[in-house]
Amino acid sequence: MQPLANITPLKPAPRAGAIKVGNVGQVFKTSTQDVVALSDISLEVKPGRFVVLVGPSGCGKSTLLMMMAGLRQQTSGTILINDAPIPEPDPNRVGVVFQEASLFPWLTAEENVEFPLALRGVAKAERRAKAEDALKLVGLEGFGKRHPHELSGGMKQRVSIARGLVQDPPVLLMDEPFAALDEQTRMTMGDELLRIWAATGKTVVFVTHSLTEAVYLADEVIVMSARPGRIVDQLTIPLPRPRTYEMLSGDTFGTLRDRIWRHIRKSA
Amino acid sequence: MAGSLGIKVARIVIVVAVFAAWELLSRTGMVNPRLLPSASDTLATLWELLQRSSVRNDLAVTASEVLIAFILAVPVGAVIGFAIAENRYFAEVAKPLLFFAFSIPKSIFLPMFILVFGVGFSQKVGFGFFSTIFIVIMSTTTAVESVKVDHLTVARSYGATPLQTAWRVYLPSMLPVLLEALRISMIFNLTGVILAEMYASRDGIGHQIATWGENFQMKQLLAGVVMIAAIAMTFNELVRSVETRCSHWRT
Repeated sequence: MQPLANITPLKPAPRAGAIKVGNVGQVFKTSTQDVVALSDISLEVKPGRFVVLVGPSGCGKSTLLMMMAGLRQQTSGTILINDAPIPEPDPNRVGVVFQEASLFPWLTAEENVEFPLALRGVAKAERRAKAEDALKLVGLEGFGKRHPHELSGGMKQRVSIARGLVQDPPVLLMDEPFAALDEQTRMTMGDELLRIWAATGKTVVFVTHSLTEAVYLADEVIVMSARPGRIVDQLTIPLPRPRTYEMLSGDTFGTLRDRIWRHIRKSA
Repeated sequence: MAGSLGIKVARIVIVVAVFAAWELLSRTGMVNPRLLPSASDTLATLWELLQRSSVRNDLAVTASEVLIAFILAVPVGAVIGFAIAENRYFAEVAKPLLFFAFSIPKSIFLPMFILVFGVGFSQKVGFGFFSTIFIVIMSTTTAVESVKVDHLTVARSYGATPLQTAWRVYLPSMLPVLLEALRISMIFNLTGVILAEMYASRDGIGHQIATWGENFQMKQLLAGVVMIAAIAMTFNELVRSVETRCSHWRT
């Protein structure tokens, strides 16, 4: 594994990977009443940007992410990925990285990474080669033959990221991918993710509970309020890249973090 | 590994000790040898019985009854179990009823099976099927419930078709529970068939055992017990060896 997070990112020119969310609303119908989960969400993510969604529990940030993935349909409004709606999952446009334990325990690491390709009937040799590349990219070269139970929590999430990247989609959606990791592993994985992002130039939308993680990773942080979920603030993070640990204790970092915290405290 | 070797040795020691105690009790006359023939005599009798074509024929009859009942009960039970687990309404309606049915000792229905099917082959298969199907249904519902929603979402997000999801997510998720179900079902199945044979039959190893018992042929009776125990354990261990290979994905 190379801890190369902060070596000059030679970012490839961002390819297509624009996300446009226009006036999206989501209403859950229960037997007694209609619950408004998301209300009038509009946002735009430019190709190659790293955007983080934060907000209190139940604000619908994961729901919004699942809609971008085509796993769920909004009640109103439009979501465009690469200028086209996403009525169902499209692995060519969007890769999804889930929370822990989303790997299939009966497959090895490389078979897990190959899974999306296997579904499309890609030939074995090509699959293996692509999986190896993806595992190398996430710093897991040589771990392909292991099963998930033989990997640490951080390594499992690296495999999940490799699985999300293996089809080379322009957009990577991440739903609290590091939530189950311990603090140290979480910080390391943050750096690793930034390295991978820098190396691939993907558009990343990342959902988290951690404000530190949000400010540390993002180009832009979108803050959502509790139910009904709506956008209450949108911050551009002016910190230069590569990000370093020293920035965590800096004034800029503290100010940004406080500003997000005030919004969340208000709505929680 | 030393620990696990020690445990294996301890197990072997216990089995040897049981046989030694059996031999000793009988040889010394502490237990009447007419009631408990010695282990060595029993094993010798077992060997001799296995040479007899009538005994082999009985074994073949029992084996085919057991296998046919098993081959019928497992898929039928699995389909019903799957349907129950996948359909919420069906599940809510049927589940408690199944638990009721499962709690009834199946043996009390044996006289009815004789009235309906007679005492031949089809009655044994029918009763074996009846003894097995409830546990298969219940185990299958458990197996379906062991499929993780997260895994299904992953499959969906990478565009899996329903068939791919069934083959690549449902089946491997369910496999450890299904193998266990298979193993336990066989215990129920074997019990059902042999009970039916002992109760009323013209052939089959269960029928032989009952006859030996009635005629006070203790050596043959015990040899039959050892025989069936060995067959049951072999099947059980075969399935279990596959089971342990996939135990790590059972969470």
